[in-house]
Amino acid sequence: MQENKKSIVLPEKFSIDKVPGVANEIKRLAKDQPIEIDLKNTRAFDSSGIAFINYLKRNYKNVSLRNLKPEFEKVFSMFTPVEKAGNGEVKGHEKTLRRGITRFKHSMGLGIETLGTRFLAFLKNSKAFLVLLADEIYYIIQYVLKRRGIYPGEIWNQLFFMAYKSYPIVSLISFLVGVTIAVTSAEQLRSFGADIYLANLVGFGMIRELVPLMTGIILAGKIGASITAEISSMKVLEETDALKTMGIVPEKFLMVPRLIAISMTIPLLVAIADFIGIFGGLLVGKFFLGIPAVTFYDQMLEAVDLTDFLIGQGKTLVFGWIIVISSGYKGFSVKRGAVGVGIATTESVVLSISLIIIVDCIFALILY
Amino acid sequence: MNEIIQVEKLDVGYGDQVILKQLDFIINEGEITVILGKSGCGKTTILKTLIGLLPPLSGQVTFFGEKIDFFSEVSLQTLYKKIGVLYQNSALLNSLTLYENAALPIKMQYPELPAEIEREMVVSRLSQVGLGDSMDKYPSELSGGMRKRGALARAMILDPDVIFCDEPSSGLDPITAAGLDDLMRNLRDHFGITFVVVTHELRSIEKISDKALVLKDGSLHYFGEYKNIFTLKDPFIDTFFMKD
Repeated sequence: MQENKKSIVLPEKFSIDKVPGVANEIKRLAKDQPIEIDLKNTRAFDSSGIAFINYLKRNYKNVSLRNLKPEFEKVFSMFTPVEKAGNGEVKGHEKTLRRGITRFKHSMGLGIETLGTRFLAFLKNSKAFLVLLADEIYYIIQYVLKRRGIYPGEIWNQLFFMAYKSYPIVSLISFLVGVTIAVTSAEQLRSFGADIYLANLVGFGMIRELVPLMTGIILAGKIGASITAEISSMKVLEETDALKTMGIVPEKFLMVPRLIAISMTIPLLVAIADFIGIFGGLLVGKFFLGIPAVTFYDQMLEAVDLTDFLIGQGKTLVFGWIIVISSGYKGFSVKRGAVGVGIATTESVVLSISLIIIVDCIFALILY
Repeated sequence: MNEIIQVEKLDVGYGDQVILKQLDFIINEGEITVILGKSGCGKTTILKTLIGLLPPLSGQVTFFGEKIDFFSEVSLQTLYKKIGVLYQNSALLNSLTLYENAALPIKMQYPELPAEIEREMVVSRLSQVGLGDSMDKYPSELSGGMRKRGALARAMILDPDVIFCDEPSSGLDPITAAGLDDLMRNLRDHFGITFVVVTHELRSIEKISDKALVLKDGSLHYFGEYKNIFTLKDPFIDTFFMKD
């Protein structure tokens, strides 16, 4: 038997550039005959060389080592994986299949438990969200009555950021949405000879639905993300702890100016967005369908009234509060440093937009 | 000396995890007590408990003889009026200038105070820490040492009885760190301010400590006069101070 053994002598330094060649040779030869790896010349290994020898020892019964110097034994033992791999009898695709089946069984077993845990976490988070909302209402009333607990001038800073810096993007998007809705409807209305009803469609749709929804979504991305990023960074940098130990309530100090500012910003932004969105529709009516501006205006007033305008305002105000509370909630619950700030910011935008759409749906069911 | 803080049979930790058990010690007025121990031994955890950010798992803390109820907002607000905290990252608000940061506790707690008195207080405190000419700068425009000194000025602004410092020298070069140590000692000597300092900077410990509180393996290993610490011949303490 000894004479059938194929001997492979490893080089002086068995490193990553030599491993693939030797591995292929062993794979090719080991099917037919026993192999002896001779380490008589080898004086140094890198980690890939050690990993390769360890792998051979575990997985190839017909491969033996010769002349392994005793001083290497300790180094080799340091590189032994804790969890040993398979014995080499299972083929790759079978191993994948087995792993898949095991995972499936595992996930089925844990499925109910996971669902339960997630549901409990959802209840806990919902409670924390509602507690924050209730706290903020209390803090606002407290502030209105006592005028204490927030930094002087902070409401104006927030107003500048929320209103002045948001109106260009809100106006642009509203104009484009107004134009898009009008253009897509114009052809259909013309085919029924109902061109004039474009004014009803644009007016009613923009004021009651599209302006509130689009403004909410834009503000969730612009203001919500910024609030979460700011609060979560402050939390990570211990600034909220510092506020607490100065006797300042961070949930009041940081949130009340933002909630007051958003409540003052929304009516203004919605009014501008309504006007510009309808103006976009009016332009399409005039230039695509030939509807005079005055006729468009008169027709629109037949479809919408002050109640619709106020409903749009009210809905957007609720969306604004959803954005600030969601953003604050995510900001204050941040964990895990800088990574957490990024995660919280993304989650706050997703949460705000999801809640806006859910609440909008509820409004639609109640109001129509 | 008057007792300021009395800690009795205190267990601290997070959730179900107890990090430090059965702590008993007293902090006296006008002393600098240094909390020592290996990384992860719970130094910051006990500090967080003492400043009311982390409720203890059991035991009690009394402040000037008054027991702190960690779940009562009123009790915590009373505590916060008596303490100042210097955080590891300084924790100055980045949206405010140094002056505004230092004035923040006054504006929030005593908004009715005339502006000129507020200015006098803030300018004098910032001058004490050597930042009289940097008041209009934002934290991002200051060096690490300046931020720490600014945060110390903010912590002192309402004349607290105790200032808690979490790793005040971390991230500072030896000269700036030594300057901060001198400042703490001067404030103790001239204004009688009590300090509780978490640190493992040996040079700082040597320079400022009156009392040492050594934590090891989840409990209090030593509490007493710093000058007596080397007479113990304790292997852990000797290793910590590199005396072996």
